Amino acid sequence: MSSTINGVLFAEMIKAGARNLSENKQIVNELNVFPIPDGDTGDNMSMTIDSGFSAINGASGDESIESVSSSAAKGMLLGARGNSGVILSRIFAGISKGLSGVDEADVSSLGAALSSGVDEAYGAVSVPVEGTILTVYKDAVEYANSHIDEGISLEEYFDLFTDELKRSLDRTPSLLAVLREAGVVDSGGAGFVYIAEGMKNALNGSYADDYHHTDGTTAKKVDISSFNADSELKYGYCTEFLLQLLNSKTDTKNFDIDGLTAYLNAVGDSVVAFIEGTIVKVHVHTLAPGDVLNHCQQYGEFLTLKIENMTLQHNETIIRNRFEAPVKKPHKKYAIVSVASGEGIKNTFLSLGADCVVDGSQSMNPSASDFVKAFETLDAETILVFPNNGNIVLTAKQASELYKDADVRVIPSKTIGEGYSAISMLDTSSGDTEQIIADAIDAISGVVTGAVSKAVRDTEKDGVSVKAGDYIGFVGETIYTDSAKRRDAALELTSSLDAGSYDVVLLICGAEVPSEEGEALYKELSEKYKRTEFIMIDGGQPIFDYIIILE
Amino acid sequence: MLVLFSDTDCEVTPEIAKEYGCHVISMPYSIDGETVYPYEDFEVFDYKPYYDSLRAGTLPTTSAVSTEKYIEYFEPVFANGDDILYVHFSVKMSTTFNNMNKALEILKAKYPERKFYTIDTKGVTVLGLIIFREIAEMYKAGKSLREIKRWADEEVGKFTLYLFADDLKFFKRSGRVGGLAATMGTLLGIRPIIYINDDGQMVSIGKEKGRQKAINRLISYVDELGDNVKDHEVIIAHSDAEDIVEEIRNILIEKYGEDLKIETVLVNPTTGAHAGPSAVGVAFHAIHR
Repeated sequence: MSSTINGVLFAEMIKAGARNLSENKQIVNELNVFPIPDGDTGDNMSMTIDSGFSAINGASGDESIESVSSSAAKGMLLGARGNSGVILSRIFAGISKGLSGVDEADVSSLGAALSSGVDEAYGAVSVPVEGTILTVYKDAVEYANSHIDEGISLEEYFDLFTDELKRSLDRTPSLLAVLREAGVVDSGGAGFVYIAEGMKNALNGSYADDYHHTDGTTAKKVDISSFNADSELKYGYCTEFLLQLLNSKTDTKNFDIDGLTAYLNAVGDSVVAFIEGTIVKVHVHTLAPGDVLNHCQQYGEFLTLKIENMTLQHNETIIRNRFEAPVKKPHKKYAIVSVASGEGIKNTFLSLGADCVVDGSQSMNPSASDFVKAFETLDAETILVFPNNGNIVLTAKQASELYKDADVRVIPSKTIGEGYSAISMLDTSSGDTEQIIADAIDAISGVVTGAVSKAVRDTEKDGVSVKAGDYIGFVGETIYTDSAKRRDAALELTSSLDAGSYDVVLLICGAEVPSEEGEALYKELSEKYKRTEFIMIDGGQPIFDYIIILE
Repeated sequence: MLVLFSDTDCEVTPEIAKEYGCHVISMPYSIDGETVYPYEDFEVFDYKPYYDSLRAGTLPTTSAVSTEKYIEYFEPVFANGDDILYVHFSVKMSTTFNNMNKALEILKAKYPERKFYTIDTKGVTVLGLIIFREIAEMYKAGKSLREIKRWADEEVGKFTLYLFADDLKFFKRSGRVGGLAATMGTLLGIRPIIYINDDGQMVSIGKEKGRQKAINRLISYVDELGDNVKDHEVIIAHSDAEDIVEEIRNILIEKYGEDLKIETVLVNPTTGAHAGPSAVGVAFHAIHR
């Protein structure tokens, strides 16, 4: 039994929380109000807490809880994905604030810290929705804190806390109609319950010694067989490191970063090199990483180092969450960052004028750190970010707060259609940022984004009875049609949405749609609605077989 | 005698030329290395297959008229003891005028007495035509060169052309439009709005989403800038977009009445090589460009 939680124990608790969620994340993913396979709350939260755990990995024996919680919070803020992930990161950021100046937390300081997590999390969202992770966490903190004067132990406190978490989670359907209709509890709240239970187990002495965090939805193994005794090194090595400049080796105050960049460009490409204080961050693709390391070591020593054979990377069909181009782009007053998944959609955004496309949509949510990395490739005074997904807006906002080298503005586009609408009509020539943003938000208001996807379970919603395996046509969370055939679902959806009353309709075909089917549908629609201009794009996106943008 | 010249980039066809007793310089384009001189190498512009081939991906190029060919156009007139007034498309849009000046230097040595006058319409396609027609009418009515030149000094800047493109790749490749969003490669229903400025250069001045909004925008320019519109002609140009032309025509007739002098002109293949298919523009008399 412990009367206080020190840094090491808190680190163990976070590790155990991360592991318990990781083991149960699929259950959380499936708590999806919408009957299509896009549930990702478990993955998002799991990756978020993993980032926190990675940031404290290796807490030393005499580290304070203040220091450990601060590292964990920073890691989570950067690693946050999805709305639940962002809220989770803010809960821990609040806890960390509450533990400021605390070496070892007793019940009352823990209670105060958890309470500070409530304030921080509610402050993170502009319109807090009750019946979500916010409510679940707040209820549990209030309940457990109300028992602190009874002289309870830390273990008892955590028991009360987790018990109320579960009760509050069970109440979420009564607070949120969408949950009630879908017959599920809130997924973010459920994810938090798994984390808290893991933490409680660690507090009770059951440590999670064998947990190693994973990167990605499923642990990805590099296929090393793709580079063998007969292979030729084509792509070189992706070489990334942080170099701590040393006063004993170089003039750290006047370090010639341009000279280093020129050297890197001479021995490799895709160079990103910048200096923050006395730490140089380098990214380079080179055939001879050893030369680069020897060269750089004359100025200092390495803090972190990562070298990957890119031939192996190239054979991995998708490099998850890699930003498009790691090369710093030329200076601009305004740069545009857009989120998209599917090669065709990404290319569409690039051709519409986006400077950088961050990979990810539903089920592939980028982290705040992915955004920050994308921002780092740009040299702009103002960066306009279009998240194009309701579950990514908060992450983008969090990233905008973390990034200091440019004025980052998030235009809260919630769909690909809104992103298309705003970016295609964007005109930055006025130089008036407020007006540009107001115009972009205005452009968003006139667009409707419909989608067709395969239903994974039977349900009855919006007067449509959905059969598992059928294709449903929907806009946001409203289902319009259910059809055994994909094409029919798209046709019925356009008809329900009165496509003929719009000027321009974009038909974006998903990865599963054969090109003949897409083209036939495009022709049929063009003939059916003669006054409307139809444009077909081979989007290549997952999950959504058709995205139909009406404007 | 003063002999009137114009060119096919001003949409002056042999038929129009005949009305005014005018000579026409044919401005060439090339597809797959084969150079075509409009109305010299064909009599009627078979526009459907031409613009369909552009839609299918053909990218024609345009080229300057050679010095020799300019001499062939002008020398018989000078040899006959006549002078020339050439009403041409914007000097800012082509290097062909360098070859023309070389030809004129050669001819000047040979015919030192002969005069060569020019009027730059500072326009192309129907902006050239709308100005050409006014001048040609004066020419036909026997107005003096001085009167015609005075008129041009006053009036060239008062005819204007607003147009929208349907496919940007033609404009982008030709590099003849200023201010086009450099990054924009795809249009996806977005139509850049372009006009020709006082210097005779094409400039992008915004964009509209969808056909309907683009049409409305063109009409709004006629509303805002139009000056004595009915005392002059209104000419609608298109590169194979008859349905849009029809719509604009109906809107204008509704606004200005049945007696509005309105003409529809198909964009010649050489100018069309820059504008691309399905572009539409309206030329009219305005308070300014």
